[in-house]
Amino acid sequence: MNRDELYTIAENWFHDQGWKAFPFQTQTWTAFLQGKNGLLNAPTGSGKTYALWFPIVLDYMKKNPNYKTKHKPGLKAIWITPLRALSVEIKQAAERILNDLDTQMTVGIRSGDTSQSERTKQSKKMPDLLVTTPESLQLLLASKEFAKTFASCSAIVVDEWHELLGTKRGVQMELALSRLKKVAPKMRIWGISATIGNLELAQQVLLGLNSETYQNSVLIKAHINKKIKVLSILPDKMDSYPWRGHMGLHLIDEVAKIVRKSKTTLIFTNVRSACEMWFQAILEKYPEFAGDMAMHHGSISRETRLWVENAIRNEELKVVVCTSSLDLGVDFAPVETIIQVGGPKGVARFLQRAGRSGHQPGKESVIYFLATHAIELIEASALKKAVAKTIVEDRIPYLNSWDVLVQYLNTLAVSDGFFPDEIFEEVRQTFCYQNITKENWNWILNFITNGSQSLRAYDEYKKVEIEEDGRFKINSRLIAMHHRMQIGTIVGDASLNVKFLSGGYIGNIEEWFASKLQPGDVFTFAGKRLELFRVKNMQVLVRKADPKKESRTVSWMGGRMALSVQMSELLREELYAANSDDLTPELKALQPIFARQRKESIVPSDDEFLIETFKTREGYHAVFYLFEGRFVHEALASILSYRISLLFPITFSLAYNDYGFELLSDQEIDMQSVFDNNLFSTEYVHHDLQKSLNLTEMARRKFRDIAVIAGLVFTGMPGRPVKTKHLQSGSQLLFEVFRDYEPDNLLLQQAYSETIEHQLEEGRLIQALERVNKQTIVWKQCKKPTPFSFPIITDRLREKLSSETLAERIKKMTASYMK
Amino acid sequence: MKITINNQKFVLHSCGAAYWEEKKILLISDLHLGKVSHFRKHGMPIPEKAVQENFNRLNNVLELFDAETIIFLGDLFHSKINNEWNFFADWTKTILQRIILIEGNHDIISKKYYTVLNIEIYSELIIDDFLLTHHPTERENLFNFCGHIHPGIKLKGLGKQFLSLSCFFRKTNQMIFPAFGEFTGNYYLTPTENDKVYALAKGEIIEIKN
Repeated sequence: MNRDELYTIAENWFHDQGWKAFPFQTQTWTAFLQGKNGLLNAPTGSGKTYALWFPIVLDYMKKNPNYKTKHKPGLKAIWITPLRALSVEIKQAAERILNDLDTQMTVGIRSGDTSQSERTKQSKKMPDLLVTTPESLQLLLASKEFAKTFASCSAIVVDEWHELLGTKRGVQMELALSRLKKVAPKMRIWGISATIGNLELAQQVLLGLNSETYQNSVLIKAHINKKIKVLSILPDKMDSYPWRGHMGLHLIDEVAKIVRKSKTTLIFTNVRSACEMWFQAILEKYPEFAGDMAMHHGSISRETRLWVENAIRNEELKVVVCTSSLDLGVDFAPVETIIQVGGPKGVARFLQRAGRSGHQPGKESVIYFLATHAIELIEASALKKAVAKTIVEDRIPYLNSWDVLVQYLNTLAVSDGFFPDEIFEEVRQTFCYQNITKENWNWILNFITNGSQSLRAYDEYKKVEIEEDGRFKINSRLIAMHHRMQIGTIVGDASLNVKFLSGGYIGNIEEWFASKLQPGDVFTFAGKRLELFRVKNMQVLVRKADPKKESRTVSWMGGRMALSVQMSELLREELYAANSDDLTPELKALQPIFARQRKESIVPSDDEFLIETFKTREGYHAVFYLFEGRFVHEALASILSYRISLLFPITFSLAYNDYGFELLSDQEIDMQSVFDNNLFSTEYVHHDLQKSLNLTEMARRKFRDIAVIAGLVFTGMPGRPVKTKHLQSGSQLLFEVFRDYEPDNLLLQQAYSETIEHQLEEGRLIQALERVNKQTIVWKQCKKPTPFSFPIITDRLREKLSSETLAERIKKMTASYMK
Repeated sequence: MKITINNQKFVLHSCGAAYWEEKKILLISDLHLGKVSHFRKHGMPIPEKAVQENFNRLNNVLELFDAETIIFLGDLFHSKINNEWNFFADWTKTILQRIILIEGNHDIISKKYYTVLNIEIYSELIIDDFLLTHHPTERENLFNFCGHIHPGIKLKGLGKQFLSLSCFFRKTNQMIFPAFGEFTGNYYLTPTENDKVYALAKGEIIEIKN
């Protein structure tokens, strides 16, 4: 069959559905059939699944002209999806084509939800097309004779590549692809990505730096522009707007009005506890929504989540309160309106959420922004501009993730074993490990065989063994089993299953929260009031609570997000505009707040760097406004407090948010000496970061995940997880030991470099300092806290830094009566 | 820091040990040896040097005092026999002092291992009017030295400052010792009016004033 004949088949099929193929779809078909690799940039719901399923099927038909009568067995293509929930939809799309075209081909799913019997069946006979996740793909690599399974495979599609790119799951994909290129030499590699700032880089990372695969590849853009309308929810009277806040519940009546107007509304909150609280608040104030309302977040049981998703699709729900758990996933046609509660921190996330509404072609997406405190309204104003200019963030890929490499090598050792020289060449061609040296490689090999450089004295530590022919292999069945259970790069806090005494799984809560509960305590979770019966074997047993009893809402730790580079730049522009006459509705609404701010201080313009100092009951506050995002502020607070502490003995407590940071002390900070000594200098930033105490603390926290991914600590058997307390102390112990006795340990160094590059964003930090050095410093000595300072100084999560001796500090303190 | 209890003098050292001057006894609690190797067995790669750290600290404190006896107030060895026991056995051969162990809840190794090393074991010990135990115990007319709970104290000050430190926690008729071993957690206590708290503050002992 020639290409024209194949296209006729495809186009006829589209015609039968009443559709017409988009240019990006036919472009992708052509490129694929020409044997090219590539990256397809297309949004969800645009028909991207058909852009790639089709050429895969057509390619099979071309190679097997009598496909209708004779089926050729063996795996033909793999479809990787980061979200298990999406796999059913992807499978259905493929089945539709396969059945309509009488191909006799089969589709299968393999993910964490796949039953053991189904897996065994697959191992014996693979489906033609396999839908799976990055983790399950790694598990396939960990099975015996995996090379045979993949040998016949002609394509791999990595869906939602933008979601994987800036994560360690992305690194895991890079490594898997580096191996598959070798065992399935005919395989084409394709990625699908939503719009991000660095699409070209995304393509390189996927296909391998300067590899043959990359040379023979294309980037296809769908160019589908969706209309998005952004509206801010403003109260009638600004006086009622809290200065700091957190939930935004004061605007509940406005929210109810919006919900009434549209068919289905999704209310997005940033964290799970806010989701729980909004659900409760709406239920209490508007009981009439009771039957038409649901909640959706990652800690609720899967059954409930699936039920909610189906109910949305079937138009059975009026309003759903949710978190990022609904960011991705299946399309919900009935959703007309989105409400975003609190700053989304990034433009891409905001657009993604907006895109969940108005899904039919040509329809407009509508998103309301609900600022939880006054200053956040500036973000609303900035977001509108971002949407208008279609600004989106970059996704920064990881470099030198040694933990993932250790895991990957163990995976290969579990299967048929590996020969280091061969694998080194493959690993070196990935983006993540482009700079790996022979020394690094030898260190890693030594680590997986001996445990560590200094560990040779011990004999009990042997994971990977070197066989006579030079093959690295794990022979212990126990170690192999432990490893298979721990494959993956997502490390969560240990969570406990919540179950009714009478049976019935509700969801999971984190260990630290459970440990604060006493039997008889009542808490609200998944929209239910539950009374704790007891905690046993990592299970929280509950029963329905007496409605009169006082209840608290479950909360989860979860990392806080920081403003992206793009968002903070937009935010500053908006803020500076507050001093002009050109005011957006949000800035107009903020006028009373700005007036209060100007009474004590100023609203800075683009050439001003504002510092406020004042004294309260708590001590002496100094607040610095950079508007650079939380992480940069965290780093800068740490550096600046360190530099000040070199001038005289002083102890600080540090707080930061997306707008600025605070140094709080029990003594007045000599601000003049801060200026005189040029403490905002960009020199020695790296050195000072290293020196400031804070870095060690942050690296220690990062190390926990690294230790788990690299398999240094065991997270427990399924259903019997190890308590985080133990996990924590285990990884902490390792961190300290490596720091004290083995400073050149690559995993330890990774903890530091990840902290500096990914968390503190050193590059961005230096740029911020350069900006500050061009601005005029405006130091306002205020009588009391200003509106700008309020959200910062009331933050309870704090770090500390001190140059006083312990004895000096103790003298000034009293025994604390808190537990 | 030197303190007096029942007319006897004790030197509290910032590593968590106390020296009884009149009797030439060094008192140490909750060393938890073997913890490091215990972790290793469960798949954590910990370098050997870390194991030696506890012995270095023991030697350092022995050099400071003219002790004739060392009394461990329980939880000397954390787990079953492992590599670290051999290091401990070697160490006991390098010192001249008499060694006594008051049994603790973690001391699950068979007594004969101690006997071989000439270590005496007691469930409790009374010396003059002092009662030495592992678990805090109150008995009339006796002053109790004990360990077990790893006492610590939390302090707070102006400017949202917080500190948490290990300490010797002294009540009217009892003093609870801090844990001497590395890698041990603390249990934080709140002192009442009659309690005295001697905090371990990087190389010195500081009494906390209520």
